[in-house]
Order: sequence, then C-alpha cells, then structure tokens
Amino acid sequence: MSSDPYSARVRALFAAPAHAGCLDGALRTQIEDQGVRLRLSAELAGSDIRALRFQAWGCPHVIAAAEAFCESYEGRPVSALLEFSASDLMQSLSVPVEKTGRILIIEDAVRSLGSVLRDASKPDD
Amino acid sequence: MTEQAELVYLDYAASTPVDPQVAEAMTALMTVTGNYANPSSTHAAGRRSVELITQAADQLAALINTEADRVIWTSGATESDNLAILGGAHYRQDRGRHLITMRTEHKAVTDPFSELERQGFEVTWLDPESNGVLDIAKLDAAMRDDTQLVSIMHVNNETGVVQDIRKIGAACRENDVLFHVDAAQSVGKLPIDLESCCVDLMSMTAHKVYGPKGIGALYIANRPGVHVDPLLYGGGQQRRLRPGTLPAQQIIAFGMAAEVARSRMNDDLEHLTAMRDRFWSGISDLPGVSLNGDIANGFPGILNVSVEDIEGESLLLALEPICVATGSACNSKSQEPSYVLRALGLSDKLAQSAIRFSFGRPTRVEEVDLAIELYRGAIGKLRQIAPERAT
Repeated sequence: MSSDPYSARVRALFAAPAHAGCLDGALRTQIEDQGVRLRLSAELAGSDIRALRFQAWGCPHVIAAAEAFCESYEGRPVSALLEFSASDLMQSLSVPVEKTGRILIIEDAVRSLGSVLRDASKPDD
Repeated sequence: MTEQAELVYLDYAASTPVDPQVAEAMTALMTVTGNYANPSSTHAAGRRSVELITQAADQLAALINTEADRVIWTSGATESDNLAILGGAHYRQDRGRHLITMRTEHKAVTDPFSELERQGFEVTWLDPESNGVLDIAKLDAAMRDDTQLVSIMHVNNETGVVQDIRKIGAACRENDVLFHVDAAQSVGKLPIDLESCCVDLMSMTAHKVYGPKGIGALYIANRPGVHVDPLLYGGGQQRRLRPGTLPAQQIIAFGMAAEVARSRMNDDLEHLTAMRDRFWSGISDLPGVSLNGDIANGFPGILNVSVEDIEGESLLLALEPICVATGSACNSKSQEPSYVLRALGLSDKLAQSAIRFSFGRPTRVEEVDLAIELYRGAIGKLRQIAPERAT
C-alpha cells in the first residue's frame, strides 16, 4: 500500500495546471464552500464549449480535479456539463473518500456553469 | 539518482540522521565481535555491557550536568513523558490531585494529562502568550495547595519557542511541586544545567540529537518527594522503575551522540542560527508571511511560518522535494489545524497554512537557498491560481 496521498495523475495535474486562469469576457461561475474556492470560466462555440479555465483555492486534489475537468470537457456540448458527476474524477484521480465533500464542490460548480452556458446559448425569444 | 538523493530534508525537529561515528560504533556492538551480551547477565560479557552502559550514562549526564545514576533509560521521549506524568501524579496522589501543564505541549504530554483527568485528577491547562511564551504569573496564579506536578516543555516542537525552565522550576520548588520538562527538542542542542535548575523530571530522546530511534531517557532528581510509580513490571532492572532488558547498543549510541552534541554545541548553534536567519531573510518580505512564535525566544533550529490566504496542503506539495512539516510529525496526517498554533491565537486558516522548517547539523546553504526559491515560487503559483473572494 502506498503511503503517498497523491496519485501520479494528481501530482502531474497539480504541477502543471495548463487550464489555470480566467478567460476574459467569458461566462463564469464561482462557488465557495467546504474551505474550497472555485471559479470556472468558459467560452462557447455554438452549443459546444470552446475553452475552459479554472481558478481554485484548495487542496491538491481540488486543483488537480479542476484541471482534469477542464482538460476533458473542452470541445464537448454544454449539455454534458449538466450531467457532470464528480464520481468519475474521484475514481480516476484516486481521491480519498474523506475529500468527497470538496470534490462535490466541483460538481456543483460545473453544473452551475452548465446552467449559465445553457441560458446564454438559448436564442432570444 | 535515487528519489532519496533528490530530497532536501528540512525536518530535523521530527528526526535527525544518526551521526556517522555513532552509527559505526553501534553497528559494531551488535555483531559477534561486539558487545551484544545481556547486561543483566553476570558473566564477563554481560559485565562488559554494563560497563559500556555506565559510560553512556556518564556521557548523557555530562551533557545535562547531573549524576549518571539519575538517568533511567526508556524507549524514547513519549515513554519518558508518560512515566514522568502518570508515574509522578500517581506517586504523589495522596498529597493532592491537581496538575498544571500548557495547551501547547506535545501530544506525548497532553494525552497522559487527559488520561489523568479521566482518572479523576484535575488539570489546569495554561495558555501561552501570543508569542508562545508562558507568563510565569499565570503559573503562579494556577498553583494551589493540592498541586503536585507541573509539566512544561523546554523547546516547543512546532514553533521552537523556548520556555524559561529556570524560572518555572524556581516557582515549582517554592510551592513544593514536581517540575517535569519535556526536553526532547533541546537536549544536546541548548545548554542545560540540571545542577542549577529546579527540574525534577526531564524527558529526553536520542533520535532528535543524531542518535538512533527507540532509545530515550528520563532524568529523576535526587531529592525527597521526587519519585515516579513504574508503568511496567517485570525483571527489576533500573531500580524497578523501568524494567526490561536494556538495549545496550542503543544506549551506548545515545551516550556517544550526547558526547558529540556536547563537544560541538556552540558550533551547531552558530550554524543553525545562520541557516534560520538566511531562510527568514529570504522569505520575510513576502506579503502576508508571518512567523509563529518568537525569534528572540526561539531555538534557531526551528522556524514556523504562516502565510495569508494560502492552502497549507497545496503549499506542502508545491514545496517538494523539500521535506518539511505542517504540524508536529506525529499528527501531520491530520487535516485539523495545529492545536499549538490555535493556542497562539492563529485563525484556522492561518494555522492551516503553517509550515515548520527545521534545520540541522547537515543543512547546507544551497538547501536553504533552494527552500527560499521554492517557497517563494509556491506562494506565487498558488496565489495566481486562486480566485478572488466573491463579494
């Protein structure tokens, strides 16, 4: 059993979070809870997500999970955000169960961003 | 290059490497050509082990200026603390059941006191001043007719704050109260003169002073009323206070480590002061950085630093390959903020961002400079990643 609390993937994502930052003029959402502060911003191309960025104040698992989310959701349809579940991230990053609450903050933020993007991409009545 | 070789170790308050000459001597003792005999045996080989253990006691006693027969060997500072606190309180419980300690003590002290509370003893937990130092007036005010034991550590393991054990000891002696000192962080590092201090019981350990793990000692003063009830029974060794076969090779190594420490204490202190001051001057200009404790009343081997609005766990990972501690090593797996720093008045968040850098005999200037570079870089990176607070 490894005594390292971080998987190799978490270490890599934390060391080089390529999607850290904020997109100017983009749609965004921010959540603060459980000692975590997370802001997501996105640019749209039609009904798809062209670019994603995150800013986070939290433990390495939170930062790595936010980066992993941004990495894997660029280019996908906005509707995918509304169905986002943190359980896949928990599993792929081997997040310890005691940090479930913090990772669920990401789920809340992603779904919130999905709602913002969906509303923004609706044609005006 | 191995992963081990790339690490930069700045966690000497948690443990130190064994001094090379100590390790060599210890290893030689354990083999067939060494002195591996049971010191309880009466044959010639056993007697030789006794001679070497006696020599080790002399070496340790010389370090703290006392008589060798005042030293009881234990498995380490935790056992010494337990023996002193539980044993001392039990021995004197017919005279009274009130005890005094500080909230900033190591768990090896606070947990035995909590156990004594469960057993019906009354414990006064003193708060330090904001710099970590005990105001002696608070101790005086807490003393009662039924007070039997005071336990205050010499050097705090998290902040490096040094308590004035001479003044505290005098206050205890005036009230005929046993005074126990957890000196795990100070023995062999700061001068201790037990002949001129009113210390009755003092816990020590080898592995913080370039000796091996698994060996410690408890000093018990030779004066009326100073005694402890044993925690262990069987064998009768060490005046029945701590029975069990003496681990000769570890004791002898502790003795050697004590002698090395005594011979180079001034050089060590000068080196540690230079390393600490270099590190602090390299980071203290960063916005939001603050020192926990007090440099003026601090042991130079330990520097505890907090920084505003930085998440501690991420800071620790960003500092790799620097090996440092977020709290005391014994509880650093906990996500809870340090109770020691909370007792100094730090908020949960500021306490959670605290990192203890501890320097040692082998610490090099290049390592300190790398730590400065990584610390500054980590703070910059984490601040850049963090969003502003929502208004």
